[in-house]
Amino acid sequence: MDSELYLDYNTPYHRLDARTKILVFAAVFIGALLFQDPRWLLPTVLLVLAQLLVSRSTRNLHRIRFVLIVMSASSVILWNFFAGGETPLFWVFDVESMLYSVSRTFVILSIVTMGAILISTTRNEELIMGMIKMGLPYRVGFAISTSLRLVPTVASNLMTISQAQRSRGLDLDSGNILERLKKFLPLLVPVFISSIRNTNIFGMALESRGFGAREDRTFYLEMHMTSTDWIVLAFCLVYVGVSIWLNLAGYGRIEGLTRF
Amino acid sequence: MTEPTIAIQDLSYRYRGTKENAIEGINLTLESGEFLVLMGPTEAGKSTLATCINGLIPHFHKGKLEGQVVVCGKNTRDHTVSQMAEDVGLVFQDFEAQLFSTSVELEIAFGPENFAVSREEIAQRIDENLAYVGLGDFRKRPPSTLSGGQKQKLAIASVLALQPKVLVMDEPTTDLDPISKMGIYEITGRLRKRSDLTLLVVEHETEEVLQADRIALLKDGRLIRVGPAREILRDVDLFENMGLMPLGIVRFFKDIGAPELPLTPDEAVTAWRRSGWQISCEHYDALVAKEREAEQAISAQEPLIRCRDLEFNYPGGVKALDGIDLDIYPGDIVAIVGQNGSGKTTLAKHFNGLLLPTGGSVSVNGKTTQEQGIFRLGQLVGYVFQNPDHQIFSETVFDEVSFGPRLRGLPEEEVRARVTETLKAVGLEGTEEEDPFSMTKSGRQRVAVAAVLAVQPDVLILDEPTTGLDYREQLSMMEMVRQLNENGSTIIFITHHMWVVAEYARKVFVIKDGRLFLEGTTREVFSHEQELLEASLRPPHFIQFTNLLGKTLLRPAELLACTEGGEG
Repeated sequence: MDSELYLDYNTPYHRLDARTKILVFAAVFIGALLFQDPRWLLPTVLLVLAQLLVSRSTRNLHRIRFVLIVMSASSVILWNFFAGGETPLFWVFDVESMLYSVSRTFVILSIVTMGAILISTTRNEELIMGMIKMGLPYRVGFAISTSLRLVPTVASNLMTISQAQRSRGLDLDSGNILERLKKFLPLLVPVFISSIRNTNIFGMALESRGFGAREDRTFYLEMHMTSTDWIVLAFCLVYVGVSIWLNLAGYGRIEGLTRF
Repeated sequence: MTEPTIAIQDLSYRYRGTKENAIEGINLTLESGEFLVLMGPTEAGKSTLATCINGLIPHFHKGKLEGQVVVCGKNTRDHTVSQMAEDVGLVFQDFEAQLFSTSVELEIAFGPENFAVSREEIAQRIDENLAYVGLGDFRKRPPSTLSGGQKQKLAIASVLALQPKVLVMDEPTTDLDPISKMGIYEITGRLRKRSDLTLLVVEHETEEVLQADRIALLKDGRLIRVGPAREILRDVDLFENMGLMPLGIVRFFKDIGAPELPLTPDEAVTAWRRSGWQISCEHYDALVAKEREAEQAISAQEPLIRCRDLEFNYPGGVKALDGIDLDIYPGDIVAIVGQNGSGKTTLAKHFNGLLLPTGGSVSVNGKTTQEQGIFRLGQLVGYVFQNPDHQIFSETVFDEVSFGPRLRGLPEEEVRARVTETLKAVGLEGTEEEDPFSMTKSGRQRVAVAAVLAVQPDVLILDEPTTGLDYREQLSMMEMVRQLNENGSTIIFITHHMWVVAEYARKVFVIKDGRLFLEGTTREVFSHEQELLEASLRPPHFIQFTNLLGKTLLRPAELLACTEGGEG
């Protein structure tokens, strides 16, 4: 079963240097957080959507659609409890707090999407290399990439295990969310146990191939910034610069919004 | 005199938290260029000994180590595993967990990178080692898209890239199909000719160790015997006593009282011709006629499982099954065999509705699987997964086995009765209160079978029931399966172990690239050696030998009964 996070396409986005992709991620992160008004966030959202299409990463978002929907729905509601405004709608909901909730949801979705794009288009090793070139110690980079590597392993384990239990008559497909969650709980035991076993072998295999044998280390993978990378980075700079300027000039706020 | 490459002295080791030594008083030396195979039943301490050599013991697994291991002049106590990695390469059984890179070339680069080898040199080592194991065309591929055999070859190449002086392989072929196994052993054969590399391989399949220089037999943590491979392999009685599989060819020639004991099929044919024996046509025909009768009786019934033009595409478009037609009859015992990734498991998962066909149909008891759904089918068709650890989650054996019956709402007394009954059937009486996770692999396997049996299905599907078990455990597992069959269960098992097929299956389906490639009684299928080879399968040596004689006999006792003439 294919459960890799990296999607092996050859899009222009895939060809960008890992460092560029990390910086684009950071730029969107900063840009998105500068505006309260969802209308002012629209350019950022469109930018993220454009990247999603260019990089053909929709498959990974589709895989977590359930999480995304639950997250968006709760975000649209919950932020109202932490913000207030002058034009009441009903109960704790005001027009201003509603707008704010929608914009926070946009921010969350944009950042999650950017993360998904980053790992869908960047090989694990490139990601480590990018982080190391930007100053992170090798071991830290390796630890981050290992945790990403675990995701497909655990997912495919969970898949096999749920099949094994369904063959024994466990009905995982009916009932409400709570009931289903309750039925899934016992599955976590074999998932953890087989993950721990795998991780153990992984650790042994790492050491057996000399992981951390010396302080210095070479890298086989080469990374080059191309002119496209520089153009993208220049664009990011302009985007962040303009966003900060607009923010300082007082644009993008919601009038009458109070946050608690 | 030169220093031995590996010198093990009075080595004992106890894992932390256990009471007994896993290995005890081991003395063993290996000279440069030697090829030693370590054999022994489960829990004999083979893996423990293997992991002592690169320092995983005592550095990774903490415990009490006595004596010493010196490899290439380095004492494992004083050097970390990573430091030893330059001299000792280790290949594991699990070919999934030991690969972690996103492309074949980066997988190989990982080792040399850790030792700060220059980029040009790494590129050269990638080329050399990929060519050596025959993966030259796969450089850019992600390892996850390789077959099991290719993954194991990659693991070997990635370790060889460190240019070690010692290569240790811990059951490298256990999870592989026969031809992938041979691929690995073909590589081992070339490695063994290199005088600069010392090879130590843990293996429990006897036919694969013929090319070793020496064999060391390990039992209960102690070395029982060390000696030249060809000499030790002739001692079939010792093998049987230790719970290891004896060579069928040697068994036969010993039982018939031959003066010399051949080891390989070719040697066996020469010895046979020299002795002037012949196969009695009368006996052989009677054997075949009896099988034909059984076949007719079975296939006169209504089929229990019927596949018609069965197709299955995985989401994403990969075609796993392509136009399969087959019938499985009540009371039969059939084997499904094929290469890793040929579609065996995908096919079997259609029989209990775990997967639904994307084309054609699968019917169980005359109704399609779509109509019945997995919950109802689960009552009829039990499925034991390959890895018992994917199935077991309860704290006691009782809870585990009673899970199915309880789900189906049976009254508590009935549940209790069933647990007792099924535990008896799998040979685990009185273990109700034990913790399944602390049992051995074969014990866990039995718990998994019991848990499925407890719902009293008519059909039992076993996916690789003998993988990871030693010979004695395989025998007792399969004897239990045969007993269930004799008591009326229909049995379908998937396996890579050809001797298990020869010994226990009545009928065999060979799957190749998602198609039904060959079907027939076990004897018919094993007589088609050439076709089996195309499907990456190979009969056991003993059957290859009888095929060379022009008849297909499945086990030494059969040939013994059919042999006439000669001086014997």
